[in-house]
Amino acid sequence: MRVLEQAVVHFSRLCGIILLGAVLTVIGYLFVHGWSSLGLSLIFGATPPLDALLMKRHVFNGLFPAVAGTLSLVALAICWAVPMGMAAGIYLAEYAGPKIKAILNLFFDIMAGLPSIVVGLFGFAVAVFLNRRFSGAIHPCLLISSMALAFLVLPYITRTTQMALEGLPLSARMTALSLGASRLQNIVRVLVPQSLSGIVSGIILAIGRCAEDTAVIMLTGVVASTGVPRSLLSHYEALPFYIYYISAQYTNSEELASGYGAAIILLCICLVLFLLAFAIRKRISYHALYRA
Amino acid sequence: MNRTTEKGVEILFFCSAFISALLTLALFGFMLMLGLPLFAEGRFFSILTQPWAPHLGQFGIHPMIAGTLAISLLSMVFAFPLSLGCAILITVTSKGWVSRLLRKAVEMMTGIPTVIYGFVGIFLLVPLVREFFDAGSGMCVLTASLMLTLLVSPTMILFFCDSFERVPVAYGTAVLAVGGSEMQRFLHVTLPHSWPGILIGFTLSLGRALGDTLIALMIAGNAVQAPGSLLDSARTLTAHIALVFAADFESLEFKAIFACGIVLYLLTTLLVMAVRLLSGRKERWTR
Amino acid sequence: MDKTVKIRTENLCFSYNGRAILCNSSMDFADGEITAIVGPSGSGKSTFLLTLNRLWEAIPRCTLQGAVEMRFNGRYHDIYGRDYPVTRLRRQVGMVFQVPNPLPMSIYKNVAFPLQLKGGVPKENMRSRVEECLRQVRLWDEVQDRLHASALDLSGGQQQRLCIARALILRPEVLLLDEPTSALDHAAAKAIERLLLELKRSCTILLVSHYLDQVSRIADSVVELHNGRLVSKAEYD
Repeated sequence: MRVLEQAVVHFSRLCGIILLGAVLTVIGYLFVHGWSSLGLSLIFGATPPLDALLMKRHVFNGLFPAVAGTLSLVALAICWAVPMGMAAGIYLAEYAGPKIKAILNLFFDIMAGLPSIVVGLFGFAVAVFLNRRFSGAIHPCLLISSMALAFLVLPYITRTTQMALEGLPLSARMTALSLGASRLQNIVRVLVPQSLSGIVSGIILAIGRCAEDTAVIMLTGVVASTGVPRSLLSHYEALPFYIYYISAQYTNSEELASGYGAAIILLCICLVLFLLAFAIRKRISYHALYRA
Repeated sequence: MNRTTEKGVEILFFCSAFISALLTLALFGFMLMLGLPLFAEGRFFSILTQPWAPHLGQFGIHPMIAGTLAISLLSMVFAFPLSLGCAILITVTSKGWVSRLLRKAVEMMTGIPTVIYGFVGIFLLVPLVREFFDAGSGMCVLTASLMLTLLVSPTMILFFCDSFERVPVAYGTAVLAVGGSEMQRFLHVTLPHSWPGILIGFTLSLGRALGDTLIALMIAGNAVQAPGSLLDSARTLTAHIALVFAADFESLEFKAIFACGIVLYLLTTLLVMAVRLLSGRKERWTR
Repeated sequence: MDKTVKIRTENLCFSYNGRAILCNSSMDFADGEITAIVGPSGSGKSTFLLTLNRLWEAIPRCTLQGAVEMRFNGRYHDIYGRDYPVTRLRRQVGMVFQVPNPLPMSIYKNVAFPLQLKGGVPKENMRSRVEECLRQVRLWDEVQDRLHASALDLSGGQQQRLCIARALILRPEVLLLDEPTSALDHAAAKAIERLLLELKRSCTILLVSHYLDQVSRIADSVVELHNGRLVSKAEYD
């Protein structure tokens, strides 16, 4: 019997070493190879950064269009997903009766489990449909991509909102009601503020998911090279797609180096968002609610 | 006035929830609608079983289904013991700050973008596999499932940890009280009581592995064939969608990707149902 | 002399998750008195209070049968009636819980919160009402120079008095107190008892209590909840 226990202990240590070793290798490999390419010129190429930011000049051999594309994509997707997702989460937690809740929960579970490429295919199908039905001007573009991404992260936001609200103790729920608050007042003025940390960390994780997703956007309008996105209906570049594209299509070592650089940037963005979400889950209730 | 706002907002909330749920159905509807020609003359079933040979007019997705299953199941073979071991390490074997640090590291890992794994896979793992096994390009089922293991393990570990921690403390204290060790408590009480949670974590991670696109697309080689060995190149359903995508809209070849979409949708639904069934059991189990 | 009846319950039956907690309880509560509700723990004393301001409706899987009437403005109202808004009821029936439950806001905002929810109270008016209530619960001198500090930094006794002040700001006619002193030390409990004796001039008070000495000190009448039924006990002086 003791042999088995010892074996389990050693096995668990071995697993830990394998996992951590593998992840550190992945990250270390990226940094070792991409370190030298990091710098302002990685993003802005030969263009002066200020000119690029003010849109005075195009950036040709830098990541600026991809970064700008990813940022606008994430901002738009979150814009669509947050109001809808929070409203749905509030409905599920505070209004829905047990039967409706069970049915809606099933749909949200399926939605959360859908592979992102299927969501991308849906976005593409909708674009084709709109193109045929309404206007030839509609084709896969920034707008369609951001809506498909919003669909992808909607269940995250709904779920975190719902769970944060349902996690509140009954006493918190009753306080404002006992003081004459209506159901809506209780939700808006007490319940949502008290579960804000959970909701916001969910939103941040959703942002991370939007920033890293490649499968959805490759079907809905991302391209390898087009410059900074001009409008909602235009093509755009994005960091994760750039990384994918470079890995398959690089022609020289400079391009490959910028691929490593892009990978480091994306990794850092995602990890920082993650750290932020964790910090907020502990802190935000403190910061958002203790104002006089 | 006040009551009307109250009611109005409730309706707004309801519509958001309802429309979101409806979108899930709409997605399936769109797949069916656009893939409609596939269902004419009972073609759908043959598509699931036929090989992919466009020049012969055969657009079966059987090889892709086989590829998806091979890669995801193999990755689960690697990931399950690894995750179980890591979860034991976090909850039982290590103590204090080491355990907390490990947990934080695993949580951080869930945030690493898929495309990064694919990218590093191409330049680091593929050459290693190529040289070690002396196998063609090095892009094969084994390579993809190894990388996929890294992708799905963190979620699985966190699920396992949670289900270990959910087992009521009092059960375990009984073991400690009669002089048992922490590890004995884990093996005889915690583990047997947390199997529903373990199954749920496994199922959800399997879903994640089935649905991943980028890793398979980048490092599995994408050959259209049912893989015969671990070192064969393979194409998954997800990668197939990404690859055929560019072709002509109206062709049957293009329509076939909607069959992939439908199969993936149904697989997801199946797994979600399984998880629901398991969680129902789990509640009864822990009560 | 016959006392006016403030609250009247008729055939009240309450069950949670299919388990009966109250059955067939009918009882009258006199206006301007402190009525103590006693009984073994778990007998449903707190639940009974929740039926008087309909707060149980926030708990899933509960059912209630029977009627509750309260006398407001010289007339009895069926508080479960269709035309009686639940928010109005809860403004007329204040409640203080066992564990002090200040909201995570400043002291001032906590007390002003019910008025803000009600709306239509001018800012100046609000300030003076807050001060009035804080004075009433003897908290004003302790907190007047830190009204905008977090209410969560107050001591337990201070928090409970704050919660009473918060309930009083709506000028309720009925006050429900669910073991308001059990989480407090002796001195803080005493202060709250004194406060309740003053408050009964303006409110009808129902007090759930474990402490028989406390009951004998301040209650005008005692009702025992036994096996799901309310039974009136001999009146204390």
